[in-house]
Amino acid sequence: MSKLQKALFLSDKGYKDLKKAVFACTLTNLAMLLPFCVTVMIFSEILTPAANGGSVQWNHIWMLWGAGIISALLVFLAAKNDYRKTYIASYQESNATRLRIADHLRKLPMSFFNTKDLSELTTNMMADCSSMESLLSSTIPPLIANGITVTITCILLAFFDWRLALCVFCTVPIAFLIIWLSRKRQIKLFEKQVDAKLEASDQVQEYLEGMKIIKSCGLSGSRFKTLDHALLAMKKIAVKAEMAVGVFMSSASMVLQAGIGITIFVGAVLLTSGQIELIPLLMFLLMATRIYGPILSILANLSSLLNLNVVTTRMRTLLTTPAMAGEEKTVENCDIELSHVTFAYNQDDVIRDVSCKIPQGSVTALVGPSGSGKSTISKLIARFWDIQKGTITVDGKDIKTMEPESLMSYMSFVFQDVTLFNDTVMNNIRIGNPNATDEQVIAAAKAAYCDEFVREMPDGYQTILGENGSTLSGGERQRISIARALLKNAPIILLDEATASLDPENEVLVQKAIAKLVEGKTVIMIAHRLRTVVDADQILVLEDGRLVESGTHSELMEKKGLYQRLYHIQQESLGWAV
Amino acid sequence: MSKKQSKETKPKTGLARCMELASDRKVLVFLAAVLSSLAAIASFIPYIAVYFMIRSIISAFPDLGQLDMGKVMSYGWMALAGIIANILLYFLAIFSSHMAAFGTLYDLKVLFADHITKIPLGYHLTIGSGRLRKIMDENIESVEGFIAHQFPDFIASITAPIVMVIILFAVDWRFGLASLVGILLAFVAEFIGFGSGAMKENMAKYQKASEEMNNASVEYVRGMSVVKAFNQTASSFKKLQEAISGYTEWVLKFSLGWQNCMPAFTTIINNIYLIIVPVGILLGSNTSDFTGFAMKFIFYLLFVPAIAGVLNKIMYISESFMQIDGNVARMDEILNIPEMPETSHPRRPKGEDVAFDHVSFTYTGNSEEKALEDVSFTAKKGQITAIVGPSGGGKSTIANLISRFWDVSDGKITIGGVDVRDMAQDELMRQVSFVFQDIFLFKQSILDNIRMGNENATEEQVIAAAKAAQCHDFISKLPYDYHTVVGTKGVHLSGGERQRIAIARAIIKDSPIIVLDEATAFSDPENEYLIQKAFEKLMQGKTVIIIAHRLSTIRNADKIIVMEKGHLVETGKHDELVSAGGRYAQMWDHYTEAIDWKISGKAV
Repeated sequence: MSKLQKALFLSDKGYKDLKKAVFACTLTNLAMLLPFCVTVMIFSEILTPAANGGSVQWNHIWMLWGAGIISALLVFLAAKNDYRKTYIASYQESNATRLRIADHLRKLPMSFFNTKDLSELTTNMMADCSSMESLLSSTIPPLIANGITVTITCILLAFFDWRLALCVFCTVPIAFLIIWLSRKRQIKLFEKQVDAKLEASDQVQEYLEGMKIIKSCGLSGSRFKTLDHALLAMKKIAVKAEMAVGVFMSSASMVLQAGIGITIFVGAVLLTSGQIELIPLLMFLLMATRIYGPILSILANLSSLLNLNVVTTRMRTLLTTPAMAGEEKTVENCDIELSHVTFAYNQDDVIRDVSCKIPQGSVTALVGPSGSGKSTISKLIARFWDIQKGTITVDGKDIKTMEPESLMSYMSFVFQDVTLFNDTVMNNIRIGNPNATDEQVIAAAKAAYCDEFVREMPDGYQTILGENGSTLSGGERQRISIARALLKNAPIILLDEATASLDPENEVLVQKAIAKLVEGKTVIMIAHRLRTVVDADQILVLEDGRLVESGTHSELMEKKGLYQRLYHIQQESLGWAV
Repeated sequence: MSKKQSKETKPKTGLARCMELASDRKVLVFLAAVLSSLAAIASFIPYIAVYFMIRSIISAFPDLGQLDMGKVMSYGWMALAGIIANILLYFLAIFSSHMAAFGTLYDLKVLFADHITKIPLGYHLTIGSGRLRKIMDENIESVEGFIAHQFPDFIASITAPIVMVIILFAVDWRFGLASLVGILLAFVAEFIGFGSGAMKENMAKYQKASEEMNNASVEYVRGMSVVKAFNQTASSFKKLQEAISGYTEWVLKFSLGWQNCMPAFTTIINNIYLIIVPVGILLGSNTSDFTGFAMKFIFYLLFVPAIAGVLNKIMYISESFMQIDGNVARMDEILNIPEMPETSHPRRPKGEDVAFDHVSFTYTGNSEEKALEDVSFTAKKGQITAIVGPSGGGKSTIANLISRFWDVSDGKITIGGVDVRDMAQDELMRQVSFVFQDIFLFKQSILDNIRMGNENATEEQVIAAAKAAQCHDFISKLPYDYHTVVGTKGVHLSGGERQRIAIARAIIKDSPIIVLDEATAFSDPENEYLIQKAFEKLMQGKTVIIIAHRLSTIRNADKIIVMEKGHLVETGKHDELVSAGGRYAQMWDHYTEAIDWKISGKAV
C-alpha cells in the first residue's frame, strides 16, 4: 500500500479512483495552457509588424481564434471529465467508508457501546466521512494536479530560456520552505485551538446538563465562570492562531509572487543586452502573472491537509479497534463457572480473583456496596469485555472462544437503562424475536403487564414511541424490556434490579413480570434491595472486586459478616420517615 | 439586548443578520471592508505594471538602446509594491475581521447561554440538549467563520469586479464592452445551475437524505447494545445501509446536476479573450493608429485572465451564503423564544408559606392535555408537605412550578402571599432550594460544587455544610479532599455520595423553602442511611415539600397530597388517609406488597 493511500485511509478502489481523478485534473490544467499558448501566438502576430514594420496578417489571427475556440471546447470537455471523475469517485469512496465503519461497528465488543462519548463518536464518524468527501472531491486531486502541472510548465519554459524560467520559479521553493519551517508552530497552535474548542464544548455541555442547578443558583450566562473562562480562552487562542497562520501564509505568498518583479528586472536586462527576443520575454511575463494562482491555492489548502490527519486518525482508531473473535458454538446446558477471574478496565483491577459456580436453573444474586463489581461481573459473563486472567465457561466451554453473537443467543438482559427505538411498540417488543407473529408479541406483552398501558396509547401497538420512548414512565420501559426478553426466551437471564424509584403500582407490576420471566431459568441478578433475594439459591457478596462471602441468606446471616451488616442497615433505613 | 431581533422590524437573515450581530464591533468590520477593497484594487497593480513594461519596450522597439531602463525597473518595483500591498492589506483586513468575529462569537455564546436560562425550562426538554449544544458549538461558530473570512471576501468580490469593469471601460469602451459580455456569459452559466427548479428540488432532497443518514447512524449506534443482545445486527445494519445509499444517490444526483454548468463556467472565465480577439480584428483592420491599437489590444489580452480569479471568488462566496442562512436561522429560532417575563416592580415575600391557588398547567399549550388541573393547597412553614401519586400524576410538575421553571396557565402560586411572578428571579431563587432526583455535579472541585449554593461562602462554611450533609468523611478520603475535581481519573463517586453533595449544596444555600425529590431509593444500604441523616439536617425548621416514592418515608408528614392525572384527589395525614380507604390506602397496599417481594426461579 502506498503512503498516500494509507494517509488518506483509502480502499484499493478509492486509491485507483483518486489516481484517475488526479490524472483528469492534470488534463484540465494542461488544457488550460492552450488558451495561454494561443494568446502568446496572437501577441506575436500583432507585435511582429508593430516592431519590424509590415502589416498584420489578420487571417492568421482569425485562424488562431478558431484554434482558440477548439481549445476552449477541449477545456470544457476536460473540466467536465474531471468534475465527474472527482465527484463520483469521492462520493463512492465515502459511501464505501461509511459502510465499512458501520459494518465494523457491529462487530465491536458490547463494552464499546457503553462508553460515554458514544454520541460524539457517531457524529464524528459521519462528519469525518463528509470532510473526507469534500477533501477527495475538491481539494486533493486539484492540489496534486497543480503540483504536476507547475512542474511540467517549469520544464517546458526552461527550454525557451532557463534564466527566466529560474526567475519565475526560484521563489516557489522559498515559499514552501517558509510553510515547511512554520509547520510545527502551526500544528502546535492548531492543536491548542482544538483543545480550547473541546474544552469550551465540554463546558457548554455541562452548562446545558446542569441547567436546573444553574438556574436555581442564579449562575446564568457569564456568571457561570468556567464556561466564561473557556469561551474567553478559546477567543484568545483563536486570535493567536489566526495571527500566526496569517503571518506565515502572507509572507509565503509575498515571497512567491515576488517572482513577477524578478522576472521583470531580469527580463529587461536580458532584452536590452540582446540575450532574449521580445516574444519569449512576453511569454514569460504573461506566464508570471498566471502561474502563481495554482500554487497559492496549494498553500491555502495546506492547513486543511493538516486537519486531514485529525480526521483520518479518528477513523483509524475506530476501524482498528479489534473485533471480538470466536467461533459459533452450541452449549447443551447452562452451567456457568468463573475461575480465578481478574479484570481491569484500564490499569486498576476491578475484579480480583473471583471464582464461583452458577448451576443451571438456579437463582444467583450479586450483592455488595456500590462500586464493588456487581454489574461488572454480570457483564463479563455476557462477554462485554474479555477478562485478563482466569476463565469464564458455559457448559465447560470458554466464552473467549465463542462468537459473541452465538453466546448472546443464550442470554437475555433486563437492565435499568432501557433503549427504545423510534418505531412502533410492536416492533420495539419484537426486537426480542424478529420471527414472532403479532399474536406472540401481544402474548409476551400481556405476560409482562404491558398490554394494559399499550392499549391506552393512541394507536395501541402501532403507536410510534418517538425518540427513545420519552413518553413512557420508567416502570413501563422496564416492562417493555421484560416483554422483549420473554419473547427471546433465552435460558440465561441477567437482571439488574432497578435502583431508581418507581411508584408502588408500577413496581408491583415489574416484579410480577420478572417473576414470569425467570421461571425455570438460570438467573443472575444484581440486587440492591437485599430483601428481594432472601430466597435466592446462592448469594455472592462482593466488596472491592473480591468475593468476600457466599451462601444462602440464612447461612450468611449466621456468619455475621458484611452481608449481615448491610442487611441490618437496610432494614433500618426502610423504616425511616421524615 | 441589541443582538436579539426586535419584534416590530422584519427579521433579518443571512448576511444582514450577521452584520447586525457584529454591530458592537462596527469599527473593526468597517476597517476590514475598506482594507479588503483596497487589497482587491491592489491585486490589479502587477498586471498593470507588466502592461506598462511591455508598452515602454514596444515604443522603444526596435532600437532597444532608447529603452529607459530606470523606467522599466520602476515597473518591476511597482509590480512588487502591488503584490506586497495586496497581501499586506488583505492580511490586515482578515485580521480586523477576525478580531471582530472572535469578539462577536464570544458575545453571542454568552448571550445565548444567558438566554436559554431565561426561557421556560420546558423548551430544554422539547429542544433537547443535543440540539442546543449543536447550535452553540456549530451554528454560532459558523457566524464567526462568516464574519472572519466570507465577509471580507464578499466585500472584495464586490469591489474587484467594479474596479475591474472601470479599468476595462477606461482604456477602451469597445474592448470593455466585449469583456463585460464575457463576464455576463459566465454568470448566466452559473445561474442556470443555481436557479433551475430541478436543482432546488435536488438540493432539498439531498439535504433530507443527509439528515436521514445522520439520524439513522445515531439510532444505529445508540441501539447497538440492544440489537447485539438480541442478535439482530444484520437487520439494523441493513437499515443504515439503505440510508447511506440513499444519501449517496442524492448527493451524486445533486452534484452531477452541475456537471455542465460548472465546467462551462470554468471554460468561459478562462477564455474571455476569445470575445476580445474578433473585436480586436475588426478594430485593428480599420485603425489608423496601429501602435496605439496594438497596445490596447495587448492590454486586454493580458488583463482578461485576471477576471478568472475574481469570478472564481464570487462563485465560492455564493456557496457559503447559502449555508450561513440556515445556521443563523437555527440560532435565531432559539433566541426568538420569549424570555419569561420579569416583573418591573418586584415584591418581597412576607412569610414562608407556599400556596397553590387553583393552579392549572399544560406543558404543550394544548388545554386538553393538562398536567395539573385546579390544584390548591398550602405548604406551611416548619411543616412537611408530601406529594405522592403514580408516575405522570403531576408530582414533579408541582415541584418545577414552585421555582418558576415554567409559568402556570391558570391560577397562581404564592410564597408568603406574593405571586412568584411578582418576585425578582434572584429573590425567588434565594427563597427556594431544590434537591433533584437527577443529581448533576459539575466537573469542578467539590468545594466549588458545594459553593454553588452560595458563592460567598467561606471554605469553613462549605466544610460545615459538608459535615451536616454527611459528606465530610468520604471527601476527606479523596486524593485532594475538597479540591478534588469531579470526573477526573480515579475519582469515583457513588450515587449516594453525589446525592449528599447535592444536599450540602442546598444546606449552604439555606433557603427557607426546600423542595425535595426523594431520590434513588436503593442505591446501597450504607449510603442510604447517611442520605437520610443529611436530609434531616437540611429540613430543620423549613417549609418542606417532598416528592415521595417510598410511602414509608412520609408516614409522619404533616400533610400528604395525593396526585393522580393532574388532579389533587386526596389530602390528609397518613393514618387518616389509610383509614379513609381511598386512593392512598390502595397505594399503601401495593407498597407493602412490593417491599415484601422476593425473587425465586420457581413457578408463580
